[in-house]
This record gives sequence, C-alpha cells and structure tokens, in this order.
Amino acid sequence: MSKSGEVSWKSENLGKRRWTFVVFLGILILHGLAIFVFTRGFLLTRTELSQYSHCSDIQQSPCFSPPQDDQMVNHSKGCWTKPAVDRIVIIVLDALRYDFVAPSTFFDEKKPWMDRLQVLHKLASQPGSFAKIFKAIADPPTTSLQRLKGLTTGGLPTFIDVGNSFGAPAIIEDNLIYQMAKNGKRVVMMGDDTWVQLFPQHFNISHPFPSFNVKDLDTVDDGCVEHLFPYLYQEDWDVLIAHFLGVDHAGHIFGVDSTEMIEKLEQYNGILEKVVDVLESQSGPGGLHENTLLLVMGDHGQTINGDHGGGAPEEVETSLFAMSLQKNPSSLPSETDSSSCRLDMEKRKICTSSIEQLDFAATVSALLGIPYPFGSIGRVNPELYALAAGTWNLDIFTPEGGINLSGSERWMQNYVNVLCMNTWQVKRYIDVYSAQAHDNWLHTKEAVLNCKSESCSTLLPQLKKQVEAYSNFLSSITALARSKWTEFNLKMMGTGLCILVLSLFVHIFIIKKLDKLCSCYLPCGGNFVVSFEAIFAYAAVLIRSFSFLSNSFILEEGKTASFLLATAGMLQLRHAIVKKKMFLEGLLFVLVVPLLRFGIELGQSKQAVNSLFLKSFASWTVSVDNGTNLWIYVADILPFLALVILAYILYYKSIRHSSCRGIFKLVAVGTIFASSLIALAWALDGNLFSPSTVIVDIKAYWIPRIIYVVGLLQLFLLAISQLFGKEKTSGWEEGTIVKATAMLSAWSSTIIILSGKQGPLVALAAVIQGWCVIRLMTLERAKNDYNDSSTSYSSPVAKWSLLAVCLFFCTGHWCAFDGLRYASAFVGFDEFNLIRQAALLTIDTFGFSHILPVMGLPLIVACRRHPEVQAEKRKPLFFLQLCQVYLMYGLTMAISMTFTIICVTIQRRHLMVWGLFAPKFVFDAVGLLLTDLFICLASLYYFT
Amino acid sequence: MDTLISENGVFLPIPPLHAVRLHYLLGVILLLTSMVAHTVFPTNPITHPTPTLLMIWAFEGPGLMILFANFQQDKEQCSYFRAVVRGYVGLVVGAIVNALGAIILGAPVGFEYFTKTLNWSLLMSSFTFVPATCAFGSAWTHWRRVFASTKAFSFIDYMIRLPAYGAVIGAWLGACAMPLDWGRPWQEWPVCVSYGAMAGYLLGLIASSVCIIFHDRRQQHLKGE
Repeated sequence: MSKSGEVSWKSENLGKRRWTFVVFLGILILHGLAIFVFTRGFLLTRTELSQYSHCSDIQQSPCFSPPQDDQMVNHSKGCWTKPAVDRIVIIVLDALRYDFVAPSTFFDEKKPWMDRLQVLHKLASQPGSFAKIFKAIADPPTTSLQRLKGLTTGGLPTFIDVGNSFGAPAIIEDNLIYQMAKNGKRVVMMGDDTWVQLFPQHFNISHPFPSFNVKDLDTVDDGCVEHLFPYLYQEDWDVLIAHFLGVDHAGHIFGVDSTEMIEKLEQYNGILEKVVDVLESQSGPGGLHENTLLLVMGDHGQTINGDHGGGAPEEVETSLFAMSLQKNPSSLPSETDSSSCRLDMEKRKICTSSIEQLDFAATVSALLGIPYPFGSIGRVNPELYALAAGTWNLDIFTPEGGINLSGSERWMQNYVNVLCMNTWQVKRYIDVYSAQAHDNWLHTKEAVLNCKSESCSTLLPQLKKQVEAYSNFLSSITALARSKWTEFNLKMMGTGLCILVLSLFVHIFIIKKLDKLCSCYLPCGGNFVVSFEAIFAYAAVLIRSFSFLSNSFILEEGKTASFLLATAGMLQLRHAIVKKKMFLEGLLFVLVVPLLRFGIELGQSKQAVNSLFLKSFASWTVSVDNGTNLWIYVADILPFLALVILAYILYYKSIRHSSCRGIFKLVAVGTIFASSLIALAWALDGNLFSPSTVIVDIKAYWIPRIIYVVGLLQLFLLAISQLFGKEKTSGWEEGTIVKATAMLSAWSSTIIILSGKQGPLVALAAVIQGWCVIRLMTLERAKNDYNDSSTSYSSPVAKWSLLAVCLFFCTGHWCAFDGLRYASAFVGFDEFNLIRQAALLTIDTFGFSHILPVMGLPLIVACRRHPEVQAEKRKPLFFLQLCQVYLMYGLTMAISMTFTIICVTIQRRHLMVWGLFAPKFVFDAVGLLLTDLFICLASLYYFT
Repeated sequence: MDTLISENGVFLPIPPLHAVRLHYLLGVILLLTSMVAHTVFPTNPITHPTPTLLMIWAFEGPGLMILFANFQQDKEQCSYFRAVVRGYVGLVVGAIVNALGAIILGAPVGFEYFTKTLNWSLLMSSFTFVPATCAFGSAWTHWRRVFASTKAFSFIDYMIRLPAYGAVIGAWLGACAMPLDWGRPWQEWPVCVSYGAMAGYLLGLIASSVCIIFHDRRQQHLKGE
C-alpha cells in the first residue's frame, strides 16, 4: 500500500512542470559540465609567452652579430641582421588563391579566373631574378584573423582562436608589427580593420574599413586605393600595409567562377600595375623607392565556392609575389633554389617556388634588420631573402687574409649567419616553451661547430652544409611544433567523457523509472515483445554513433543519416503492407527521403567540389543547365508553391480548428501574414519590377525585420498565454497540438526567411515526414499496446532525430566552420553587431535541425490516443509520456555526442583533427546544449 | 516427406535432399558464372561492373526460373512454361522495385549510372522476386506468408525466404563500405553492393539448407514418437 502511495505521489510530481524542468535543467547542467571539462582538455590554447625579443639579446647568441655599441643608438641600421631593404610595401589581397597568381600553364586546365593578374606574370618573367611568384602554404584554420596572427607572430595557430574571429582581440605575443614599431620602423596600414583590432597601438597611421559586411565588395578596396597612392609618394613611412577584401567577399557571395570575381581580379590588375609604375618611377638612385620591396600576398586561399577556414589544399594554398626594386647582382646557388619553371600562355618563362607562411615573419624581420619575433618558429626563406638586392652586398665579415669571395659565397655566408640567428632564436623560444628540443639542437650545434673549428666557413660546400644543418633543425622544430602543439590534457578529457556517460545512465534511469510509472496507467498485458521496428531504432542510433569513429562517415554524415532514415521507412512500409493499413503514408515517407537526399547532395556539392556529387551528378546538373527555361521557372515557382501549401496547412489545421482560439489563432494569423511577406520579398527579387532603391530597401531590410519582429511578438504572446492561461481539465491533447502548432509556426517564418528559397521546400518536406512518422505510429499500436511505453516510442523518436539530422544537412550546412551560412546572418541587416548576427546565424544553422524538431516533439505523444485508458488517468499518463519522449530524444543526441567525443579522443593525433573532428565536436556540442536548452524551455511551455 | 495443408490447397511434397541439392546447384551456378565473368574480363569486374553483372544475372536468373518453376503451387491452372514466363514478368517488376529501393537508399542517379543500376537491380530481382513469382505467381497470401511472417509451412518457404533476405541484408551491409575514403574502385556503386548481395545470397542458401535439414530431422523425430 505504501509503495503504491509513493508511486502515485511521485507520478503526480513527475508530470508537473517544475519537476520536469528541474530534471531537464539538471541534464543540461550535466551536459554543459561534461562538455566544458572535455573542451578544457581538448581545445587547449597554446600558451602565449609574454617575452619579447630585444636588440641586445643577440650578444648571447653564438652567431656573428654586427657590433652593437653604436647601432644601439641608431636603430635604422638594424640590430640583429643588417637591414637589406629600406621600405616594404605589403599588399594583402584577402583569399588570393594560388591559381589567381600563377600562370594557367601550371595547372591541368585553364579556368576563367586564371591569368587575370597579368602584371605579375610580366614582372615575374622579366630576366634577372628580382621578382618572383611563390606558392605560400598557410596553416589551417584558414580564417583571416588566424592567418594575420600567424603571419605576424611566425607561430602556429591553435583551434580555440577561431572563436575569436568575430571579435578580434589584440595580439599579446611578440610579433612583427611590434618589432617594427619598437625598432623605429614607421608602419602605415589601410584596409581591413582586423589589423587595427589585432594591433591597436602599433601603427603610425591607419585607415581601417569595416570588414564584416560580406555583401559589400567595394568599400574596403576603394578606401585602400584612395589612401594607397598618395602614400607611395611620401617618405614618412617604412612599412606600408594595404589589405584588400574584395576577392574574399566576391568569393563568399558569388563564388570563384563568377563575373564579379573576374571583374575584381581585373581591377586589382589595374591597381597593381599602377602601384608598380609609381614605385618604379621613383626607384632610381636616391629615389624614394630605391631599395623597396613590394610584396603582394594572400592570407589564405578559398574553395571554388568562396569558402575558407579548413585545411583543404585550395584553402591552404595562397600566393605571394615579391619584387625588389633594386636589381640583383646575381642569382642563387641552385641547391637552395626550389623553383620550378614553365612557359606561360605568352611563352614567357616564369618560375615559381613555394614558401611556408610560417617563414614570413622571420624573413621580413631579417630583411628589415629587426629582431625576429620571440615566438616565431619559421625559417628565413632563402629565395625570398635573396630577392632583396641588399642581401648581396652586406659585408658583415671583414675579408680575412684578403680572400676574395664570390658574390654567391658572400651571400651564402651572410645567409648562414642569418639562419644561425634564426635557429638560435627558435631554440631560445623552444627552450622557454619546453625542454624537448634539446637533443636536436645539440646535434645541429655539433655539425656547425665542427665546421667552425676547421675554419672552413668560407668554402661554399661547407656553407651549404651549415645551411642544411640549420634548415634541418628548423624544419624538425616546425614539425615538432605542428604535431605536439596542443598538449591534450587526457585527464580532463577522460573526466568529461565520464560525466557524459554518467548523464546517459541518468537518462536511461529516468526513462525506466517513467516506464514503471506509466505501467500503472496502462492495462498490463504482461507480454513484453519488443517489436522489430524498436530494435531497428536502437540499432540505427547505435550505427550512426559508431559511424563517427571514421572520418569518412563524418564527411558523409548526411547521407548516412538519410540511408538509415530510408531503411527505417522501408521497414515501416513493409510493416504497413503486411498490416494492409497506412500503405500510402509509408510510401509517402519513403518517397520524400530521396528528395531530402538530393538536398544533402546539393549541399555537399557546395562543400567539396571533388565530392562524389559532381562525379555522379555531372550529367544531371548539365541537363538542368542545358534544359529550357522551364527548369528555371519551375525552380522559381516551387518555393512559392511550397509556401502557399504550408500556409494552407497552417490555416486548415489551426485557424479553422475549433479548439484554436484567442492567442493561438492570432499567432497563426501572424505566421500567415509573415509568409505572405516572404513571398512578396521573393517576388520583388525577380525581374518583375524595376530595381528602384525603395523596393530594394523594402525587400532587403524592411521585410526581414518585420518578420523578426512578428516572430518575437508571437513568442512573447505564447509566453504570456502560458503564464496567464487557465489550466484546462480536458482536451489537453488537442490543446497540446494547438500549442505545438502555434510554437512551430512562430519559429518557422524567421527560419524560412533565413534559409532562403530552399526554406519552404525543406519545411514542407519536414512537415510531410513528421506527419508520416506520427501517422505510422498507429501501425505499431496494435502490437505494442501492452509494452513499455519507452519501447513503443523508440521508433518514432529515432526517426524524428534522424530526420532532424537530415534536415541539418539538407539546408546546406555541414559540420565545419565554412559550413555556416554567413550570408544568412546579414538578412535584413548590413552592419555587424555581434549578438544580433550571432543569434541570426544560430537560428539559421540550428533552426531546422534542432529548434523545430524539439518544439514539435509533443505532437508524437499528443496525436496518439489511448482510448483504453480511463479519462481521469489519461492526463498524468500523457505528461509522463511527453516527459519520456523528451528524455529519449535527449538520449539519442547525447549518445551521438558521446561517440563524437570518444572519436575525437581517439583521433586526436589524426591529420584532420582540426579540419574535421574538432569542428564536428564543436557542432555536436553546441547542438546538444541547444537541444537541452530548448527541451528545458519546451518543458516550461508544454507542461502544466 | 513434407506435406502441409495451406489455404490454397495442397503443397507439393519436396524431398529435403532434393531441396538441398537445388541450393547447391544454385550456389555453384552463381560461383561459376562470377568466376567465368572474372576470367572473361580479367581486370574489369571492378572497373566495368556492368558486363559482369549482366553475365551473372543472365545465368542465375533463368537458372532460378527453371528450377523454381518446378515448385509452382498451382500446377492445375498453370503449366510449367507459364511459370517460367511468369518468372520473367517477376524479374522485370522486381527490378523496378529494387531499383526504386536502391535510389531511395542513396544510389546515385544519372545517365551513366543507368546501366549499372539496371543490371544490379535485375540481379537483385533474380535473387528476390524470381523464385517467389515462379513458385507462387501473384498469390498474395503466399507472398505475405513468405516475406512477412517468420513461420514456415514448408521447405519452399525457407528456400525462397532465406536467400532473398540474405541478398537484401548483404547488399545493405555492402553499401556501408561505400563512404569510406579508401579510394578503391570497388567502393563505387554498385560493385560492393553486388558483392554484398551475392555473399548474402550464398549465406542464405547455406542457412536455408541447414534449416531444411534441421526441420526434416525434427519432423521425422516427431513422427517417430
């Protein structure tokens, strides 16, 4: 007796809003804690050392250094190395792919965007090696902020910095710009305002322009051009940095293969031509630019679609063009020269070499004669260093015994000395950082010292040997740094994993507990037959989770999910055929899955050009391209049609519905109003109207903003209705359906306008699939009525979550930072505001896949009737089952998260850890926390 | 001897050894044709799956028809010849169903995949649909019994059901290797799926033989008691 009393007391509480909220909040906190602890162990930031290099440090080095006493007073003469160039003009063209710069003959196929920067080809092909094209290889992540950090500090980026890309913080480490400023170089900057955020105090003069509005192709570039040319005639600077953003933005908006991109490149060609003209006109003896070095470089590459951020070759390979205005006396010894030469389209011989972006800071420091940044682990690149004519006539060694050295020997000697300092500085850094590199250093020192003792340092072969020894040391350090940079904290990672596994057990425990409570209400039959569909549901969740252990399955995650969803649908269809009911629903479900898959494949084609999609669908896409205008019309009209159908469903389901009254009706009307606005915006998008500014304003700014406001109002109204609504005693199932519909419709218009024209199609597919899942549940009812309620809900919940995963990929997302649709953050707004744009981006990214499925989950329970249960018992049973369904949904998410974490832990030394596994982890973690959060909110909203 | 009464009349008795021998024969045909196909196209079966698949189903399909037409359940209304013709109809219908299923599950769509998908679905159809159509025609109750329930009334149920299930499950599992980034030619559609289906079919044949022998033993045991 006492036991049953206890049970009924608990069950009364379990269905209550406060209790469920506490449970879900507890789970949210548990997950948050697990992810926080794991992240602390996994995504470690590299410790940024606060030491700086100083001029006087060089006396501690074993290398030959210029006499210090008088140079300390006069900075301009340099302190570590003798300055080889007087001034440097750095023109950064954001997202400059290697094939923008290198001649098209270097590639298999000539593409329309190649050979557009002709001026660089012309300069590089002129005899006498004073200009050269380099392939610059960046380290992922290839976002602008990260690359600027890497370029100026000479260090490797770490993953955690990626998050800072939205609010660039100042660099506290030693860096190139700091050293320039410290050593009396006057730096002028113009263009991308990220530089000013990174180096707030270091520039003499700066002309920053806002960089975050990707739709704006020209503001930054025009500003740069406006300021650049006057400065070229002035002498009050030593280093000029001009950062152009047009190519990056054109890529983001239009892709590489677009007329906008080609126009941009041609514009740059003109600008560069003018810059070179101005510089050359003043490069005579005594001129302003007598000893100036011009660098035209990209900070990272981009894919054909204009995305960047990952570690794909297209994103990592950017280019660097260097040109010295003082002609070189001679050329490099062939051993240090790694260039490959080919004829370009106009039969000019052009040589290119390759350089690590890591080496940029050290090389520029050596050229300017300033101390290398303390944290730089790059090597002074011989080819770039040799380009500057100044490096050929530095007589740092007094000729001993009248030995006459040839030009290249002298250069080599000088280079050895520069490398020696380079090595010493890296060694010093690594020493401070860890003791690991000690052995390597001893080895190198031995080789170098051997040579010194034999007083052979003037012979070319010996010099080469030294260069080799230093280079080996430096490259081994770089490799070491690359592989071991982030020391994972395994204890923290293990703790995080354990907490997450604990949360799984909590989930299962509560679900089982609820099962027991439900069984009090359900007529007990006693035969516990687990249906085949339920087994497959468990299996599908597990198969999906296990698939995360392999990187290829993570890449194809969307297809895997649709494969499993299709399998589940087919089993369901088979069941329906056997039962001879619901055949049409089953068929519809199965037939919509391939449509979702086409969406996923379209998204993938954006993700990777070399993916299976283009191979398998080449003919298909071609047929679309070659087809008549009919296809275009169909593609134009389909979204409208879908929108109308959605609005009609809403109208039919809610407004005409008898139980939908008051606020809910208002919400539904609001959504229909919003969707007509969306249709209006798209109609204005077409060519029907002349593009006047008023119409553009209305469509681009006012309509989205009105829709956001309407959405917020709807949510507000729903919250009010929940706060002040009367508690109903009957019809809560109907009530929940109405509530859920209202909630979904309140979110949907915002999500649809953010996702663009694919939005209504995906939404319609989601509605159809959701409806089929709910309808098909009745199939299992006959068999499963006497079972655990958790078993009977497992199949629909698993399908629901698979559907959510498919929707994520279907809307053109994938688990990488270039998979975020940044353009959607600027729907309705032009200016960048961190909170507002982040919120819009989150809604776009997780709207279809996390917010809507969680909010719609009660429909599964509400649409299922238990006629055999007595009326007064139905309400507590309903809420118990709702709670259970939410727990199960959370459980499926948590299981896949657990496997992602295990996978990331196992693969932490994998080549693609930062390119693939870490982004996947971040997306999953954010997704799980958002799901938990929305389940919490849903528990407040749905439970009474 | 195995005689049971069903809704549609009397099942013909099939001696268990005969059934097992038939399985053996089918397996041998499959293995032989695939071996012949491999020798005829020494390097091609993976890079050019279409002729290989064509060859395999062109031998296996008619073989199945000829053999399973013997077991037609309505001998009174339907001649042996008609049963074989029925098998051809089943082959085509089954191919359509299988191709649809494959596309729903994620098979690539495109003109250059048309022949591959066609041959693969014909092969799958001869594993799954042909025996059933030859034996049952379009008698829905039989189809339902064989493919929906787990109970078996006679050996023929095992003989149709288990290899068909084996082929489908094998193809499903074979598809799991496709996304892996090993870059092998056999990961292309439909090579690994066909191999999976054939392996599953062979396993199904073995399982079915084991079931038949086991079933027979138990029945004889029951009779003995």
